[in-house]
Amino acid sequence: MSGQHIHPVPTNFFRKHVFSVDHKVIAKQFLWFGLIWLGIGGIMAMIIRWQLANPGEPVPLIGGMLFPRTGGVVDPATYNTLFTMHGTIMIFLGLTPMLIGAVGNWCIPLMIGARDMIFPTLNMLSFWAMFLGGAVGFISLFVPLGATEAGWTGYPTLSTTVGTVGAGETLWTVAVFLIGASSIMGGINYMTTVIRLRAPGMTWGRLPLTVWGIFYTSVLNVLFIPVIGSAMILLFLDRVFGTTFYVPASIMQGAGGGDPILYQHLFWIFGHPEVYILILPAWGIIGDLLSFFARKPAFGYRTQVGAMFAVTLLSAVVYGHHMFTTGMSAMLGESFMLLTMIISVPAEILFFCWLHTIWKGSLRLTTPMLFSIGVIFVFGLGGLTGIYCATIGTDIFLHDTYFVVGHFHLTMAASALFSVFAGIYFWFPKMFARQMSERLGKAHFWLTVIPLTYVFCIMFAMGYAGMPRRYYDHTSAEYLQALQHMNTAATHAAFVLGAAQLIFVYNFIKSRWWGKPASQNPWEVGTLDWTVETPVPHYNFKEIPTVHTGPHEFSHPALGDDRDWIYVTEPMPGSAK
Amino acid sequence: MFIQAMRRLTPAWTAVALLLCSGLAEAQGKRWAPLEPASDYGWRFGELFWLITTLCTIAFTIVVILIAIPVLRDRAKPGKKASFDHGSSLHDKRLTAVISVITFIVLDAWVLVIAMRDLREAYWQIPEVQEPGVHRVQVLAQQWAWNFRHAGLDGEFGTPDDIIEMNQLTVPKDRPVSLQMTSKDVIHSLFLPEMRMKKDANPGAVNETWFKPITAGEFTILCAELCGYAHYQMHGKLHVLEDEAFNEWEAEASELGVISNTSDQGEPVEDEEAQWAWDWQEYAKR
Repeated sequence: MSGQHIHPVPTNFFRKHVFSVDHKVIAKQFLWFGLIWLGIGGIMAMIIRWQLANPGEPVPLIGGMLFPRTGGVVDPATYNTLFTMHGTIMIFLGLTPMLIGAVGNWCIPLMIGARDMIFPTLNMLSFWAMFLGGAVGFISLFVPLGATEAGWTGYPTLSTTVGTVGAGETLWTVAVFLIGASSIMGGINYMTTVIRLRAPGMTWGRLPLTVWGIFYTSVLNVLFIPVIGSAMILLFLDRVFGTTFYVPASIMQGAGGGDPILYQHLFWIFGHPEVYILILPAWGIIGDLLSFFARKPAFGYRTQVGAMFAVTLLSAVVYGHHMFTTGMSAMLGESFMLLTMIISVPAEILFFCWLHTIWKGSLRLTTPMLFSIGVIFVFGLGGLTGIYCATIGTDIFLHDTYFVVGHFHLTMAASALFSVFAGIYFWFPKMFARQMSERLGKAHFWLTVIPLTYVFCIMFAMGYAGMPRRYYDHTSAEYLQALQHMNTAATHAAFVLGAAQLIFVYNFIKSRWWGKPASQNPWEVGTLDWTVETPVPHYNFKEIPTVHTGPHEFSHPALGDDRDWIYVTEPMPGSAK
Repeated sequence: MFIQAMRRLTPAWTAVALLLCSGLAEAQGKRWAPLEPASDYGWRFGELFWLITTLCTIAFTIVVILIAIPVLRDRAKPGKKASFDHGSSLHDKRLTAVISVITFIVLDAWVLVIAMRDLREAYWQIPEVQEPGVHRVQVLAQQWAWNFRHAGLDGEFGTPDDIIEMNQLTVPKDRPVSLQMTSKDVIHSLFLPEMRMKKDANPGAVNETWFKPITAGEFTILCAELCGYAHYQMHGKLHVLEDEAFNEWEAEASELGVISNTSDQGEPVEDEEAQWAWDWQEYAKR
């Protein structure tokens, strides 16, 4: 579009680096913000694992500093806070800003040939709303009467004043609401930008799959984040103004008369699409990267886009499988079971396409490629174990055990995280004009994928053996004492996994400032983001480019022998203009 | 080429070996699976679980092989060109459709059929009160204890001969046990691992489920839904008694129930805490 508005380059430090409206700066802000929270959430996970393997023993190194009142020991209330905030942080403050905030902001304008987002100020507001949400979440840890302790799902009546009196829980609802508002702003912006600002020739059929993934995610964000927003408002009213939306009459001595199950429906109508909100960009990213590094076109581009669309459509009608033990009627239970099985079909199609993309390619096993293949691996494990959870007969036993913990960590956590890593290693040269170390990247991959698989596969065994989740101390019940060895083994592997992330931190920090300067197109990829020079100039494109080919035209016979890729701005040799 | 690739992965194999060693050292003579199922529904769970496990193992092995072959075979080499295939021909689309339909039938539909059969034959079939031999229990969960109430000899809930147990539940073997449950405060979930049974106890509503113990002995009661500070300590014992022993226990406890609910002069005592029974209705049949 020719009519794009251009602001002059800001000279003021605050306008340039803090309250910037430039999508590239905002992408980096989201990235750093997400990385820091990912670190905090990760440390929480390590403390949780320590407590589970060594119940009631003081946490080494950091324990005395974090929990001085108990001499470094995690007490049950703190433990509940830790896993609640671990979940909240990883989903809302770790993965969401990195996958949607950073990758979305970086890729959408650059990949569709736009100079910025269509609403740059809204974009800035989106980041600062999330920042505020993060700040409120952080403060909630230190308020009187205790932090949030009701799990990241925050089920009433535990999350109402019946179960948690602390102001922390109230602040938690505010934090989730603010982060939700940020996601809605982002979603509206992303959708409108993709619809309105595509460069000439960038048809819907030529959009990179990354953009498709983020586009569908934005649709889900705009549709379903308002649902969790309303659920949070009602919970806030219940806590602060004494309404009884979720508190039944039996507790209120006959007054009021709400329903705690109402919250669960609201939460999961949002909560299940949230899984796809995180996984759709991941699918998009690896759909692209597998093709880029296999030097082959993405197999079944339209099929993949269609499969992702089907998942987007179905995402909200399968949510009931989170609630099979709540006393759902037989008809509803069976319907949700069937629908959940049906949503596995588009996932199967995507697997087929990915595996076909790397088949007979010319594979360059770079770090981003390793992490992309890693997504197929961990999502394969996580997706297949979903069948146990979707089937009422097995879910009745496995629900709320470590089996579920293993399952969702492999699907929405590990798969999304791997695609974030793939994305960071891939776009880092363009983002920071420096190259990350491949050697350290590969070490990071192997030392992540192996302990990660090990930790969560042990959790499958733990869940199958009947170990409930969210237990402070599994040695308290006789039945669970014989299973404690699995906790110990999982903790050992989790510490290896945690330590391996230090390789990434070192690589990231070192490469950011002292890395080898990156060339314009180190990966030899033809999408629009690699046509601009490095570092990317203000407003990206001097002239809005015209697109002639699709994003995955690798090893095209017309290209001859000396090169196997082509910029999307170049017409295919020999084709009629 | 294969050996070279394997050699390059030496750090990876070392890590796997170390982790396996640590796991195996820990696992000496320890338990990796749930205790034997002790209810008739438990066997159905086991059957379904291993069916899904078999199917998933096959599917995942195929995925790993399909990753491993190109990774080992199709590495970039100078002069090597990838095959050019958009996968957009009609043939490819048909192939995609056929494979996904086959996967759905083998992986999902098969499991779905067995699961539906189990649900309809057993899980949804909450026994009716008139059925012979049904033993009914009302469950009141609270932070952090399980209260169980038996109707006692008169078969009526809310009468002085009700039997009340806390953190232990006594039921007869080989008779269907019908449970109705609710909660005083927050959501709890009654989890009987050996019976492969779990149901939420929600405040303000009554949930129901059932199981039929087929082994006598002492089993576990846990809470599976996060319910606050002492969630992890909210457990108890499930005693499954042979029919005769159970009848004896019931008669004795029912009489004790009368005593504990009346004063020394034989007057009924107004103990608010003990008056939590509700009318037994068949909620699922509504």
